[in-house]
Amino acid sequence: MNKPAFGRFLIKDLVGNRYLYIMMLPVLAYYLIFHYAPMYGVLIAFKDYSPMKGILGSPWVDFKHFETFFNSYYFLRVLKNTLLISVYSLLFEFPAPIILALLINEVRSRSYKRVVQSITYMPYFISMIVIAGLIRDFTDSGGVLNSIYMYFGGDGTSMLQNEGLFRPIYILSEIWQKAGWESIIYLAALAGIDQGQYEAARIDGAGRLKQIWHITLPGLMPTIVILFILRMGNLLNVGFEKIILLYNPVIYETADVISSFVYRKGLLEFNWSYSTAVGLFNSVINLTLLILANWISKRVTNSSLW
Amino acid sequence: MKVQSGKFTIRYTASAIAIMMLVAILSACSGSNGNETNKGTASQPSPASSNNAAPAGEASYPLQTTDTLTYWAEYNSSKSTIGEVPFFQEWQKRTGVPLRFISPPSGQSTDSLNIMLASGDLPDLIEYDWFNFPGGPEKAIADGYILRLNDYIDQFAPNLKKYLAEHPEVDKMIKTDNGSYYTFPFLRGDPMLQVYQGPIIRQDWLTELGLEVPETIAEWHDMLKAFKEKKGAEAPLSYMFSPEFLNNGAFIGAFGASRTWFQQDGVVKYGPMEPGYKEFLSTFRQWRTEGLLDKNIANVDGKALDANMTNNLTGASVLNSGNGIGKWTPLLQEKNPNAKLVGAPYPVLNKGEVAMLGQKDPIYTTGTNVAITSKAKNVELAVRMLDWGYSEEGHMYFNFGQEGVSYTLDSNNQPIYTDLLLKNSEGLSPSQAMTLYIRANYGGPFVQDKRYITQYLALPEQKAALEQWTKTNVSDHKLPQITPTPEEASELAQIMNDVNTLVDEMTLKIILGNEPVDAYDSYMAKLKSLGIDRVIEIQQAALDRYNSR
Repeated sequence: MNKPAFGRFLIKDLVGNRYLYIMMLPVLAYYLIFHYAPMYGVLIAFKDYSPMKGILGSPWVDFKHFETFFNSYYFLRVLKNTLLISVYSLLFEFPAPIILALLINEVRSRSYKRVVQSITYMPYFISMIVIAGLIRDFTDSGGVLNSIYMYFGGDGTSMLQNEGLFRPIYILSEIWQKAGWESIIYLAALAGIDQGQYEAARIDGAGRLKQIWHITLPGLMPTIVILFILRMGNLLNVGFEKIILLYNPVIYETADVISSFVYRKGLLEFNWSYSTAVGLFNSVINLTLLILANWISKRVTNSSLW
Repeated sequence: MKVQSGKFTIRYTASAIAIMMLVAILSACSGSNGNETNKGTASQPSPASSNNAAPAGEASYPLQTTDTLTYWAEYNSSKSTIGEVPFFQEWQKRTGVPLRFISPPSGQSTDSLNIMLASGDLPDLIEYDWFNFPGGPEKAIADGYILRLNDYIDQFAPNLKKYLAEHPEVDKMIKTDNGSYYTFPFLRGDPMLQVYQGPIIRQDWLTELGLEVPETIAEWHDMLKAFKEKKGAEAPLSYMFSPEFLNNGAFIGAFGASRTWFQQDGVVKYGPMEPGYKEFLSTFRQWRTEGLLDKNIANVDGKALDANMTNNLTGASVLNSGNGIGKWTPLLQEKNPNAKLVGAPYPVLNKGEVAMLGQKDPIYTTGTNVAITSKAKNVELAVRMLDWGYSEEGHMYFNFGQEGVSYTLDSNNQPIYTDLLLKNSEGLSPSQAMTLYIRANYGGPFVQDKRYITQYLALPEQKAALEQWTKTNVSDHKLPQITPTPEEASELAQIMNDVNTLVDEMTLKIILGNEPVDAYDSYMAKLKSLGIDRVIEIQQAALDRYNSR
């Protein structure tokens, strides 16, 4: 397209749709002010930031904070733990809401369906502190889960003192907490599938499993792919809240992740630059993974974010 | 795909994102903010006019002023805001200085302060543990958060100045190596106030089993065994394995080691590197195998401990006289009128020895000290207001509250707390009620009075426990309040973060049997590679500087 033509087109479009553009302005401003302007603060990852000197006034230190992080004795361990917890949640927690949505979708009674839905997404609204308190009570010696575990060879000590059990506890509680809530989006997608297809399938003699396999799942696929790609973009962001509420030094080996490590180190020591450097590192990795996942998905499934 | 693109902008770890945004947003408009503050300062009327005539002399309270000071503090009481607490209302009246309070959510003072400092928008006064400010108090001054108070104390704080002149040892504590004063300190006015924590045992069980209060580690072992076998205690010994309790050295001290730093004849030592630490680990490991130590030891918190104790699962612990003996005794006696607790001496290896370590706060207890920020509009007023706490009237007010309300004077002119505090009709416990009317149980800018503790400790067992717990040599071994230089401090923090992770992990893993006792030696090798020798060097230099202050 040659330039003058595009310019004329633009002006015409701006004038013609001026009200639409005006309506868009607040949204644009929102993104500029709250999502793009703060990026300027990323500078402090390369500085020894002191609020009294301001972002520009603080001295440059190049990659000092990154080096400190990478050279830390525990860097590889926290990186490994973060990745493992993320990957395990991707494997086990990510499919859970899909399965739940499929199950709920097959339920015929409307009221039963509603009750099940409400019950399953309730845990999502419980505060993390309470959740962690419940988990600790259940897994301590004498707790419900601990007693069950003893049947399978547990020795009755707190399960949170066993480094091998931390990841299962974390992932299972994650499923319990989030599966119901996350299934909502899949249920919405399911509602959009043309009922005529099911009718046609039934006439062709497809059973319920066949229907799920050939109609429901393909219908859900674009949603699943999009959510999966988004998940990839969060791979290094294992929230520190739940971790620091559950872990203790005995299980650092498996439980200490980047964010909890940074919390102990950066935040409690008022080291803003360091936390930002780690945050920036996470973001770069996350963005790379996201682009990669998107690219692969575009090749393989033809659905992608952009 | 607008929504998603928003998600991608930049996602930090949960912690970093909040701070980043805040930093950036606030700094974007910090230019104008800064100017406003300056303008404000310029147009402020000059301070308490009545004092201008004789700035160095005594001020007459209440001060005359039109200024309001902003005061940031964490203060947990039964009222929802600090402003509603009667103590603070009356404090403003007595000093004549109106205050506007800002307080962080309970238990989040460090996080909140962190964010507030990052914003650069500071109140006039901040009550915080400035001694433990990351990088040290000198850094807080150098970074421009708080003021060096030397000149101001000299001119406007006659009461504090007088106290420090009379107590040169305290004067040495509250300064940095450079001689800078940085806060209005909370000071313990008597050795009795410095000790409040130690081993606690079920006296009624001892009596029933015909046992004496144990002194040595061997006696402790036998006692715990008896508790387990004859009293059915599932967790005979249970206490919080947190730095607070480990660092105070119960049990560890018996082996000539410590979880933290200590000194021996002027030489700095790192406890976990002492050979005794390995012995401590193997002893506790043994106790755990025998079922004498709480199975959940890594997770024990206050709530779990209360439950263990009151359900007769635990017969011995380590806790404070107030929230240990004072809190458990009535709870235990509800079910069993014979239940009784006793404070035991800090255990030693051989009979007749005196424990090397024990809990003992320094006179200058660093938790609740008030600093004046660099943004303070009227420094003289702030100094005079804080100095009141060290005057005679202020001393009585901070420790005992208002005469006729929270205390009365007896025939010997001694203050006696009223029922409002000790037997509150609204059902508040003495410590809850005290928090509303006095600060003797919370700390603050004043000198704590012995007559508070003698009345607060209601049970004779509590007083007896204090006597047992003070019998240690901790004063010879505890490091004084040394201050590394800001550069050293950041190096130290860097190394110590990994060191603490390593030591915490090693301690619990060996005790819980996740690793053999001999793993200790490989941990020591790792400790060396983390640079522990450099930290010892820094600490030693800081101690030497302290001793030559």
